Amino acid sequence: MANLADSFLADLEELSDDEAPVPDEDEAEVGDMEEDGDDDMDDLEALNYDELDSVSKLQKTQRYNDIMEKVEEALQKGSDISGQGMVLEDDPEYQLIVDCNGLSVDIENEIIIIHNFIRDKYRMKFPELESLVNHPIDYARLVKKIGNEMDLTLVDLEGLLPSAIIMVVSVTASTTSGKRLPDDVLNKTIDACDRALALDLAKKKVLDFVESRMGYIAPNLSVIVGSAVAAKLMGTAGGLSALAKMPACNVQLLGAKKKNLAGFSTATSQFRVGYLEQAEIFQSTPPSLRTRACRLLAAKSTLAARVDSIRGDPTGKTGRNLREEIRKKIEKWQEPPPAKQPKPLPVPDSEPKKKRGGRRLRKMKERYAVTDMRKLANRMLFGIPEESSLGDGLGEGYGMLGQAGSGRLRVSVAQSKLATYRATRAFKEKQYGSSGATSGLTSSLAFTPIQGIELTNPQSHGNLLGSGTQSTYFSEVGTFSKIKRT
Amino acid sequence: MSFLLNTLTTKREVDTAIRDTLDKVLVLRFGRASEPVCLQLDDILAKSSREISKFAVIALVDIDAEEVQVYAKYFDIVLIPSTVFFFNAHHMKMDSGTADHTKWVGSFQCKQDFIDVVEAIFRGAMKGKLIVSCPLPPEQIPRFQLLFKGL
Repeated sequence: MANLADSFLADLEELSDDEAPVPDEDEAEVGDMEEDGDDDMDDLEALNYDELDSVSKLQKTQRYNDIMEKVEEALQKGSDISGQGMVLEDDPEYQLIVDCNGLSVDIENEIIIIHNFIRDKYRMKFPELESLVNHPIDYARLVKKIGNEMDLTLVDLEGLLPSAIIMVVSVTASTTSGKRLPDDVLNKTIDACDRALALDLAKKKVLDFVESRMGYIAPNLSVIVGSAVAAKLMGTAGGLSALAKMPACNVQLLGAKKKNLAGFSTATSQFRVGYLEQAEIFQSTPPSLRTRACRLLAAKSTLAARVDSIRGDPTGKTGRNLREEIRKKIEKWQEPPPAKQPKPLPVPDSEPKKKRGGRRLRKMKERYAVTDMRKLANRMLFGIPEESSLGDGLGEGYGMLGQAGSGRLRVSVAQSKLATYRATRAFKEKQYGSSGATSGLTSSLAFTPIQGIELTNPQSHGNLLGSGTQSTYFSEVGTFSKIKRT
Repeated sequence: MSFLLNTLTTKREVDTAIRDTLDKVLVLRFGRASEPVCLQLDDILAKSSREISKFAVIALVDIDAEEVQVYAKYFDIVLIPSTVFFFNAHHMKMDSGTADHTKWVGSFQCKQDFIDVVEAIFRGAMKGKLIVSCPLPPEQIPRFQLLFKGL
């Protein structure tokens, strides 16, 4: 272990020479180095991953602070509908809202970064926790509550998480392979948690502000889905025009939770719904119609957002019309189907039976077709008495089977057209492959020519002609190249 | 007896019915509305009237009416309910294994039996036959003993 650590140290010290002035790019390296173990990291002063400030800078930026200030004052001022005459873009409040949208996206990213940081630090203590609790804010709260405690029964987790998850967490904690964190690491982790929670709070404030102004910014959209959902949608999309540019299917999925924790049932998770799930219209539809309602809602709210983005209807009338339309459609889906009238029976024999055709039917009919053997047996030559099974004219007659005039007793098992076609194709493939020694039709049973029947291979004629080098015209063994069935 | 089916009381009505039903089987039930077997038959007729409405018409004739006695005598109706079938003003006969082929005596065991009988009559009639054989197995056919009246 020591050698490993030393070798890693040596590697990293090389890197550190290049990187000392620019601590920002640490994050990329850090991503690869996670497996080394956090203890090693602590020793390295070159990598400032240790310090929260190096990874999370948003709270220090001027922009963030400005916007937060403005939001605070605006919230305290209460709703203040500025004069309608002003063009939207000039309105300082509108600008603030646009900024808020961008900021909320940034805050979200920041929270994810901090979550990674906390996770890496806390891994030493409780590695399984990250797979049990996915949500960054919940994770941060949990970490803060648990701290360095090894025995989870002493920690009260009520209210932080649903009880099912608390149970799983407690059980996993009792068998965890983690150890206590050193104090300074613990402090840093708690610090990061605080930071994350503060950011979350800030995001909530921003969203509240946007929500309160929603009726002014996007009246049509907020009429349909409600101002809270509208604010969230706008926040996630990154602005009203961004929301308007999205296709409706994307709007439907904005804010959809993706992961389901391992081991938990997926039966309860509702598919393909995002923030729209919280809309009042959606909540009031019966569960069986929810998917359709969600799609409808997404489509109409996208339309409303587009109207709003160009300020086409500041009164909100379009929104009200759309809402009415949605409501009517959902009601129509819910009405029972019209009562069935018993249909009178059709007149007998008035509808001709539908005859089917095609390859399948032909193949089926072939099984009952008259075979060549039977055809030959049915015919007789003139003047020549036929042979029969019991001899002397008793029993079944054999017709032309086995007559000298017909050529041979060897009745070729002529295959159906279909099988011939198949066999030809397969044969052609084989021709290029195998040495062509035997085909599948030669039987290993060797009857003498006088008695019994020999199966001949109808492809053998083709073979003779296939080898182009030798001409079969004068061949002694070759026969007609094409034998038509009579 | 059902409110769905017409009840014919005069000779003129019966004539009109027979003459005017074109290309459909006319099912004439002779019976009394108060009799239980008649009621049973009427129930079956009423239920199936809509289903076979494309190729059959059902009508009830009350044999207690005076004008209808002519028909009762003509068709030799003794037991009720009796059902007589017509197609394009031709009287259709059916051989159901009983002695009398000109009419159907009694009720049916289920609705499907009745529909089968009417369909057999229709098919036969479309082919030009005047007598058809009954498609029902002998168990389903009601048997009556013909006792001669007034002997």
